[in-house]
Amino acid sequence: METIVAVKDLTQKIGKKTVLDGLSLEVSTGECLGIFGMKGSGKTTLLHILAGIDRFTSGKVEVAGVDVRKNEGFKKYLGLVTQERSLFHDLSAAENLDFIAALKNAGRENIDRLIERLELGEVLNQPAGSLEAGLYQRLALACALLNKPRLLIADELIGAIDLDSRRIILRELETFLAGGGTCIWAFSNADFLPHAGRVGWLEKGKITFYQPAEALARWNDRLQSLAGQGGDGGA
Amino acid sequence: MLKQVMAIIRRELFYMWHDRGLRNILLWGSLTGLLLLYATYSAQVLKDIPTAVVDLDNSSASRELVDKIGQAEYLKLVASVASYDDLQELIKQGKAVVGVVIPENFARDVALGRQTRVLAVIDGSNMIYATNASAAVLTVTRTVSAQAGVSALVARGVQLQQAKAAYQAFDFSEEPWFNPALNYAYFLVLALALNIWQQCCTLAACLNVIGERGMKSWLQIKASGISKFRFFASKSIAQVFIFMAIVLPLYVLAFGVFKLPLNCSWPSFLLFTLAFAIAIHSIGTLASSFARNAVDAARFGMIIALPSFVLSGYTWPLEAMPAYLQKAAWVLPQTWFFQGLNYFAFKNAGWHLMSHYILAMLAVAAVCYGAAAVFIARS
Repeated sequence: METIVAVKDLTQKIGKKTVLDGLSLEVSTGECLGIFGMKGSGKTTLLHILAGIDRFTSGKVEVAGVDVRKNEGFKKYLGLVTQERSLFHDLSAAENLDFIAALKNAGRENIDRLIERLELGEVLNQPAGSLEAGLYQRLALACALLNKPRLLIADELIGAIDLDSRRIILRELETFLAGGGTCIWAFSNADFLPHAGRVGWLEKGKITFYQPAEALARWNDRLQSLAGQGGDGGA
Repeated sequence: MLKQVMAIIRRELFYMWHDRGLRNILLWGSLTGLLLLYATYSAQVLKDIPTAVVDLDNSSASRELVDKIGQAEYLKLVASVASYDDLQELIKQGKAVVGVVIPENFARDVALGRQTRVLAVIDGSNMIYATNASAAVLTVTRTVSAQAGVSALVARGVQLQQAKAAYQAFDFSEEPWFNPALNYAYFLVLALALNIWQQCCTLAACLNVIGERGMKSWLQIKASGISKFRFFASKSIAQVFIFMAIVLPLYVLAFGVFKLPLNCSWPSFLLFTLAFAIAIHSIGTLASSFARNAVDAARFGMIIALPSFVLSGYTWPLEAMPAYLQKAAWVLPQTWFFQGLNYFAFKNAGWHLMSHYILAMLAVAAVCYGAAAVFIARS
């Protein structure tokens, strides 16, 4: 399997706080790596570095064989769904698809297919900012997939959204992976652990890798331990 | 690449049009300014300057002088008071701007050919009124004084023609060029309206970079892989296009409807304006590139746009400013534009000079865009 993401000794300091502390990871083509961690554990920081949005303090990051510090060429292979609502809120859903396709230099031929698959037909004329959470995430995923990316980076792809949208998004994710795509998906809800092929548990700036079942077991252990102490186990 | 550029331009035009506040400021700000300014300066020249007279002589000669003051083109006799103190009170209250005090024994001194002193006082608190009043009073007193001199010579036995010739040894004729009527509207209306326009444009340009970076959608732009240069260059093309689109109705109204002078050709004047639009856009973009947020950027814009018109030397000659300030003023594109406005719209000073002005403004733009690019790349 070809390595599409290679991170070595990645450190990110924000002010005096070390958010990522010498973290290393490799992701192979076709893999779905779940980055699991509590809120504030550095998932978004890691994903933004992988997507070439943020600079980092030290270490080496290669995506599709490209050093992200030296070249932005890897971005043509990339699709990103951010945790924050980052679509163009002044534009309608259709205009977002058109505009982001133009930004990514992607053809328009993929737009109709994505509208159909993510069931966005009825909201195309609505401003993106007014869409409810599930529809917004479906649109965000469609925008991320416009350039037929080799790597999808998704931050809290499925949060508090309606079940129908969840089903549609998971279906599309499976299709993407089945087509040979790679996904790095960050989430803080342990319910999604089984959807990942491998789990990187991010805690205190370090990452530890588990198989999904093992990660779930460890999570349940931690919940029980916290319950025994009378603590709150919500991620 | 062209597809990307066009998409960004379209989105920018759409964004600016849909931002109601920005649209209203850009579209109506300078047009409303032009209309208000044209109405303000519709009289075009200052006439009927309120004038009061203190006639302490109360003779036929002094009354004749008062009549002549009343008939003067730019003066309007509004009061005749008994004392100097009354005149002072009248000027303090703003009821008169000019006061003429005719001394006692005025008629006797004139008749005897003695020098007599008529005092003209002018309210200097309003410079524009004072300058005009001074010129108007000078015209009257020069005529009256010459007439008195001729009369005195005639009384001494000099022939009338000889006496007149003595006082008109040379004919000093004034001929204001380019604005023969010294029309205030010609001088001020367009310049002030364009000042509003350039301020609005600078403020809009100040949001060029930070307006984008301050939004969450900046993440999409960064992740898309489009080069920042291409993205902001495309946005800038749209913004400069809008700046030109909003100055066009202003020019049509000013030159076509209000008949303000445009003595150079339309294309060359538009090219000159385009160079200025690019220059002020570059300054706004530079401010936007290092501003921490949109409010900061707007502050920078105001700091640049507001005093630059004063420094441009349009309302107060550059030559009368300290040397260091003159040098600083020539760094600003506003100076090149507003100085050029006089040279090209009024005087049609020629393409050679205009090309020099255009190049200067484009040089400012090159420096500012270059600096902005460095700030953007480092951000």
